[in-house]
Amino acid sequence: MVILALLVSIVAGAISGPARKASHARIAGDEETELLKDSARSVAAFKEVYKVLMHPRCMNCHPAGDVPLQNDDSHLHAMLPRRGNGGHGVYAMKCANCHQPTNTPGLRTPPGNPKWALPPADMKMVFQNKNPRELALQIMDYKSNGHKNKAQLIEHARDTLVKWGWDPGEGRSLPPLNYQEFVAAWDTWINTGGYAPAR
Amino acid sequence: MTKPFFKNNLPKMTDQTNSMNRRSFLKSTALAGGGLMISFTWLSAFKSSGKTDPGLPAWAELNGYIKITPDNIIKILNPNPEFGQNVMTSLPMIVAEELDADWKDVVVEMGPHDSLKLGPQFTGGSNSVRMYWKPLREAGAAARYMLMQAAAETWKLPAEELTTHAGMIVHAKSMKSGKYGEFASKAAGIPIPKEVKLKDVQTFHVVRNSKKNVEGLKIVTGKPLFGLDYHQEGMLIAMIAHPPAFGMKLKSFDASETLQMPGIKDVFTQKLYEEGFEQGGFDTRTFNDLLVVVGKTTWEVMKARKKLKTEWEPAGETKDTMGGGGRKREIVVPGDLESTGAQLEKMQEWASKPAQQLRRDGDPETAFKHAAQIIERTYNAPFLAHNCMEPMNFFAHVTDEKALVAGPLQAPGWSEPTLAKLLGLPADKIEIQLTRMGGGFGRRAYGHYLYEAALISKRVKAPVKLIYTREDDMTYGIYRPMYTATYRAALDARKNLIAFHVKGGGIPEHAVHANRFPAGTVDNYLAEGWQIPSNITIGAFRAPRSNFNAAAEQSFLDEVAEAAGKDPIDFRLELLQRAKENPVGKNNEYDADRYAGILKLVKEKSGWGKAENKKYNRGVAAYFCHNSYAAHVVDMVMRDGQPYVERVTSAIDCGIVINPDAATNMVQGAVVDGIGNSFYGGLTHKGGAVEQKNFYDYRIIRMHEAPKKIDVYFVQNDIDPTGLGEPPFPPVFGAVANALFKATGKRFYQQPYIPQLNATPRAF
Amino acid sequence: MITLNINKKNYNVDVDQDTPLLWVLRDTLGLVGTKYGCGVAQCGACTIHLNGEAVRSCVTKVSRAAGQKVVTIEGLAEKGDHPLQKAWLELDVSQCGYCQAGQVMSAAVLLKENKAPTDADIDAAMAGNICRCGTYLRIRDAIHRAADIQRKGTEKT
Repeated sequence: MVILALLVSIVAGAISGPARKASHARIAGDEETELLKDSARSVAAFKEVYKVLMHPRCMNCHPAGDVPLQNDDSHLHAMLPRRGNGGHGVYAMKCANCHQPTNTPGLRTPPGNPKWALPPADMKMVFQNKNPRELALQIMDYKSNGHKNKAQLIEHARDTLVKWGWDPGEGRSLPPLNYQEFVAAWDTWINTGGYAPAR
Repeated sequence: MTKPFFKNNLPKMTDQTNSMNRRSFLKSTALAGGGLMISFTWLSAFKSSGKTDPGLPAWAELNGYIKITPDNIIKILNPNPEFGQNVMTSLPMIVAEELDADWKDVVVEMGPHDSLKLGPQFTGGSNSVRMYWKPLREAGAAARYMLMQAAAETWKLPAEELTTHAGMIVHAKSMKSGKYGEFASKAAGIPIPKEVKLKDVQTFHVVRNSKKNVEGLKIVTGKPLFGLDYHQEGMLIAMIAHPPAFGMKLKSFDASETLQMPGIKDVFTQKLYEEGFEQGGFDTRTFNDLLVVVGKTTWEVMKARKKLKTEWEPAGETKDTMGGGGRKREIVVPGDLESTGAQLEKMQEWASKPAQQLRRDGDPETAFKHAAQIIERTYNAPFLAHNCMEPMNFFAHVTDEKALVAGPLQAPGWSEPTLAKLLGLPADKIEIQLTRMGGGFGRRAYGHYLYEAALISKRVKAPVKLIYTREDDMTYGIYRPMYTATYRAALDARKNLIAFHVKGGGIPEHAVHANRFPAGTVDNYLAEGWQIPSNITIGAFRAPRSNFNAAAEQSFLDEVAEAAGKDPIDFRLELLQRAKENPVGKNNEYDADRYAGILKLVKEKSGWGKAENKKYNRGVAAYFCHNSYAAHVVDMVMRDGQPYVERVTSAIDCGIVINPDAATNMVQGAVVDGIGNSFYGGLTHKGGAVEQKNFYDYRIIRMHEAPKKIDVYFVQNDIDPTGLGEPPFPPVFGAVANALFKATGKRFYQQPYIPQLNATPRAF
Repeated sequence: MITLNINKKNYNVDVDQDTPLLWVLRDTLGLVGTKYGCGVAQCGACTIHLNGEAVRSCVTKVSRAAGQKVVTIEGLAEKGDHPLQKAWLELDVSQCGYCQAGQVMSAAVLLKENKAPTDADIDAAMAGNICRCGTYLRIRDAIHRAADIQRKGTEKT
């Protein structure tokens, strides 16, 4: 995995070059960890991460508004379920009313996961319309990332709902990186300083 | 298979009405002081069985529609299939009115299929109330007469001195009175009169007063009412695997895996019609070779059907043998695997060919030649799926001796003879039970799913319920056809409309109604039609043909009015004035006064032209179809770049309104349905396959897209009632298109409208 | 064997764990008030309450309901007199009626969580329930009316 991560970052780095203007967002828990800060590697890794986060499988539940998106064209979810305070929907339109703990078999049936939800209203974690810099800064910002410290961020890539992106049910496209590649890029990005690209 | 001229293939729907009218109207005389004396014979053909229902209470049967118990429970049978048009309530109201019953004492029951007792029993063409109006009044009045005779005999008083009031018979002089129930069993023995007096409509106390849906409580408490709810002990479930595309048929299949699945009883192929089978008017079939899976429960059959290994092949050109109307003929069904793009190209090609002339007044060619201005526009609309909320289904238990079938069906009288032929049983050995229908919209007039269920039951020798999944339902055919029409209008130098031309086409039928407005209002008029044969099956869809015309023609007239520099309502009123004073041609289907009446009413009630309504983008349209008149003003706003219909004002003339609140509900529903279908409705094909499978890709209007307010106004008159299920629907399309123009500055020529905006769903 | 608690009664059903709750209700238990409309959670006709939430039974495996509290339209109110049922009758909402059980079940969750819903709340709660007859305006009005009935009922006690 380390080798893979290096490969990814070298390749990415070679393409984009070192990001001289990269900013280092403060990661909670940084102080206690010895970091091998490397802004070029970090930014390169994030660019890979970004491709995945902006893929419909991830972005559709991180919409700019309060209604999730659907399908590969990321249109507004047909019956306009609302986020609700906790991110679990409102009234008769709670996510889990249709989205089961597992994917429902068949084409265009509701995908499922035990944690199916949007981010909560006080921590919307919007991906839609964010450029790489904005998205990286948002994730690294303790105040807007669900109060996650570094370890928790690393752990988040292992979350069951994140993993669902690579097991989305029949007929749905997969993110451009496979899951192992994504985790490697994610870890590299964070472990090398969590730098945000210039743009 | 195709029924290109489906209307012409049939003995006209109205034939059934006429036969009843012939029986009803041997003689009718207006009476001094109001009311009608009606002579009839049809009701006397009814013979009381002489038997009472088993158990208590003992029902005395006065005629096919009315039974009364000694303790005064009055049971009225509803003859016509109920699919949401509320006939379960409105038709018995008509009986109760003439019976002079107290509505509180009335219980309503769905009648069995029995055309001898209960008439045509056809739900469609907005005909239920129209065709049953007089017969049901007669049935009620005749029973009232018999009860009065029975009271007169009991009390030994002259019948002429008796009156009735809310279920009571009263002798004013002696202060004697008694409830109907007391005389019911005696009345059942009195001969049915050949002549009765009908009430003056001004004295009605049941009809024209809002009554609640008699099945309302059952609906909101989840009682079994619908075909899909029908259950019989030992009943099996059947599903059909049909070809993935129109123009395909089954080549081979391997059911070995399916048969291993739990609960599965059998897998087999079943032909619907044998070669040369004479199909009746509503026997449209989409797929003739059926691959059937039968098992114990719905879920088991659903799952097992997915395990079928099937190979399909092009069916090529096929033939249908059409009977009906006493003419037997063969229809060639093309074998093409059609796609929407190719269909559009073909329509374009056919539109430039010579077509069948349907009506000509004056000299349209010369008028167009001398016109100061010509406006020409072409409109297109896609196939539409009915998408009844309850998918097609039917129960059947067929044995060698008899058949019991039960389910949602609009035209049992049409289906019964076909079923008898298919099963080789005499019609009197077939019992059709009519369940409440979860929507119909025309779809359930086509009884193929009933025949399929019956043939399957016969084959497996067990009671069977055939169920279509939503995907089956949407891809199994019988759609609103795909239409196009090119309209041309000629204006002279003073902006007067001097010529009008419509050339309409469609797959597989065109929508032109040649003798409707604006025919009769223009000196030079030409209507033409053409149609392209297809293997995509079509059928009636809530106001067939009209639902396209009222979109195209009413949008077009909006543009013509604009070109003429006239207000769209005033422009129509001027034309109608012409039609009234000096109509062109003889065969104009509409009544110009009634047509103008709804326009004037909608103008007044909507506050047309008033400053306070400036905030709305307003569109108006009016249309006549199925014997009634409907106009709407649609008030549209834009929200986040998306059009939203916030308010609608509707004016309707359908004569006497039986049940005003329910009628209002129906109009409101038609408006919502019209907005939904004009905005989103559309079914497309690729390689013969339907591209939409379920509500995720066939968009249906939802709560948040429905208007905040729909105000409905009925013209008050004493004209015999006409239909309401269909007439309010078509003009919504036109009014929406015209409002969209105001909202966006863009004319909409193609349905559905929303994709024309490149839109995504409206956010809150 | 799966034990289900439906409308306060326990049932033991012998069905495949994957069977949607909808078909267990309809085929196995004969509770047909819950309707099949689309099978893919698009139309809301099959809405039931699972532990008080308006769950779409057509995509809910029976195993998810095991040992949980299920309420169907038949059990919404013992006497069929839930404020929503009363309001539906008062405003004569239904046309064909097929979707209405699902509509009422969805609305019941709304009213439980919001005693005085606005039009916007109603739109947000009810957008998952399709009515092909287009009775949406009356459904909206009936929910407002039911909120009234519910409020007055509570005030009295």
